[in-house]
Amino acid sequence: MAKNKAQIVYSPRQKAIRGLLWLFLVLFALLVIFPVLYIILGSFKQNQELLLGGSNIFPQSWIVQNYVDAWNQANFAVYTKNSLLLSVGVMVISLVVSSMAGYVFSRKTFAGKELIYGIFTAFMFINVGSVSLRPLYELATQMKINTSLWPVVLFSAGGGQATYIFLCRGYVNSVPKELDEAARIDGCSFFQIYYRIIMPMLKPVLATIAILSFRQGWNEYIMPRVFTMTNDSLRPLTVGVNMLKNAGDGAAAWNIMFAGATIAIIPILIVFICFSRYFMGGLTAGAVKG
Amino acid sequence: MAKEYVNPQLAPTNRPPRPVNKKMRLKESGGVASWLMLSPSLVFLCVCSIYPFIWIFRYILYNYDGIPNHTRFTGMRNITTMLSDAKFWGSVGVTFEYALLKLIFIIPLALIMAVLLNQKLKGSSFFRGVFFMPTVISSSISGMIFTFIFATGNGILNGILKSIGLISQPVGWLTDTSVVMAAVIIMSVWAGFGNYMLYFVTGMTSISEDVYESSRIDGANGVQTFFRITLPMLAPVLKVVLMLAITGAFKDYEAIMVLTNGGPGTRTNVMFLYIYNLIFGTGSNATRQIGYGALLSLVAAVIVGAVTIVYNLVAKKLDDVV
Repeated sequence: MAKNKAQIVYSPRQKAIRGLLWLFLVLFALLVIFPVLYIILGSFKQNQELLLGGSNIFPQSWIVQNYVDAWNQANFAVYTKNSLLLSVGVMVISLVVSSMAGYVFSRKTFAGKELIYGIFTAFMFINVGSVSLRPLYELATQMKINTSLWPVVLFSAGGGQATYIFLCRGYVNSVPKELDEAARIDGCSFFQIYYRIIMPMLKPVLATIAILSFRQGWNEYIMPRVFTMTNDSLRPLTVGVNMLKNAGDGAAAWNIMFAGATIAIIPILIVFICFSRYFMGGLTAGAVKG
Repeated sequence: MAKEYVNPQLAPTNRPPRPVNKKMRLKESGGVASWLMLSPSLVFLCVCSIYPFIWIFRYILYNYDGIPNHTRFTGMRNITTMLSDAKFWGSVGVTFEYALLKLIFIIPLALIMAVLLNQKLKGSSFFRGVFFMPTVISSSISGMIFTFIFATGNGILNGILKSIGLISQPVGWLTDTSVVMAAVIIMSVWAGFGNYMLYFVTGMTSISEDVYESSRIDGANGVQTFFRITLPMLAPVLKVVLMLAITGAFKDYEAIMVLTNGGPGTRTNVMFLYIYNLIFGTGSNATRQIGYGALLSLVAAVIVGAVTIVYNLVAKKLDDVV
């Protein structure tokens, strides 16, 4: 109950209660992990076993053939490549765009700044759902860029930028202005101050943005689904694996879908395990600043 | 600026020109650069946010099926259609039901888990990571995982329930209208409670340890401590979290689309899913109604906005009472 450095002595009764609470947490954690574990373990089962069902989450015999099939026959090599392009693209664009905008918003006063900032804020709250994808889709078609994944990358980055800009602006605000002035006296231009002084100091928040935007790109579903409706070779994993499910013979290919879903979640889980600090830090920072 | 520049030697002496000029020059530097640096985000704002929003207004009174020269002005017909569209208002009802049920389970669960994690039991940060983990998975994939779990014939949930003797006949989690909402709620609570839990955990760490200590000295037990200290001191955080949870719950549709696609029938057809199918649907009745969908999107956004406003009013009232 306390986090004082001095050791707290618990009575036997308190110890028993804490033990029970701990046991409850363990059980609940198992429950939370279960769906993920089920899909990962299931991806090593034979299709026969999956279609039969039952209560055993461990495979009777472990096989990797599902992954080979998914990779070679079901186009998952292409989906994975697309997912990587989408997530890395969104990440890089978000980092560049939001750090520049955050810097300008923090350091400059200019006509219409409040108005622009207000519009950014307003559109964080206005949500009209999937309909806004329609004009973007038609725009991409008219510009004839809908034969690549780039419109999805750009529109995804554009749609998510407000949060990242707010994060950057908040962070730049906390960097003392004296640093800018010192650099300016040393002859740095406005852009050089950003590039040489501010960017290096922004590292923690840039790491958060990198992680969050990578996840955003990796998990994007509705937008790539709409944009790749007629083009299977552009689909990222989220869409590809779900199209398999919607296909008429979907019921038969559970093993491929299990393997596909596993391919879709393993990278993001690894990123999460390595950088969980940034995931969780970014969430609360965004809530406070935004 | 050139016009304003005055040679210091000729300047009127009552206004010291140097500081003014210096200030101007400092402000001036990087004017072009700052606009250039701001331009990518401004372009994004215009293309990805403002343009689609205006586009919606352009089509709300039109019949539009996605083929450019099929656009037809239909006056008030979309509006009258909407007023008598039982399917739409049904989906609004489903949305409210879904949001309410989700909130009833997700907020207390997130709160309880946050309180438990705050007890500094062994491995707290590990548990925190585990509980947060589902939120990093794409909602489309979590929808898919639960399709497998809830499958009637070979799903593992029915398998487990059967093997421990709780059921004798498989339950149609996704095909039986009486239980499908439970399945949807289970999935969305699983996928989302970690977010809110983390907000609560962060809020709790800012509650001073001294308060807990003095309450312990006064002999308060765990439950009393929670209701008398943790909850009141968490009230500001709770208010924000509730607001996020409400708007979030009303906007959910991706995972539901994957899990049930609104079915069976229209039992889980939330409004944003209904609208999605109007605009991008590829079902048997492939007649897209984009203009009508645009109108409904606007109405849906207004509904969510109204709920938010009502919530804020209620929260304010509660503030005055408590």
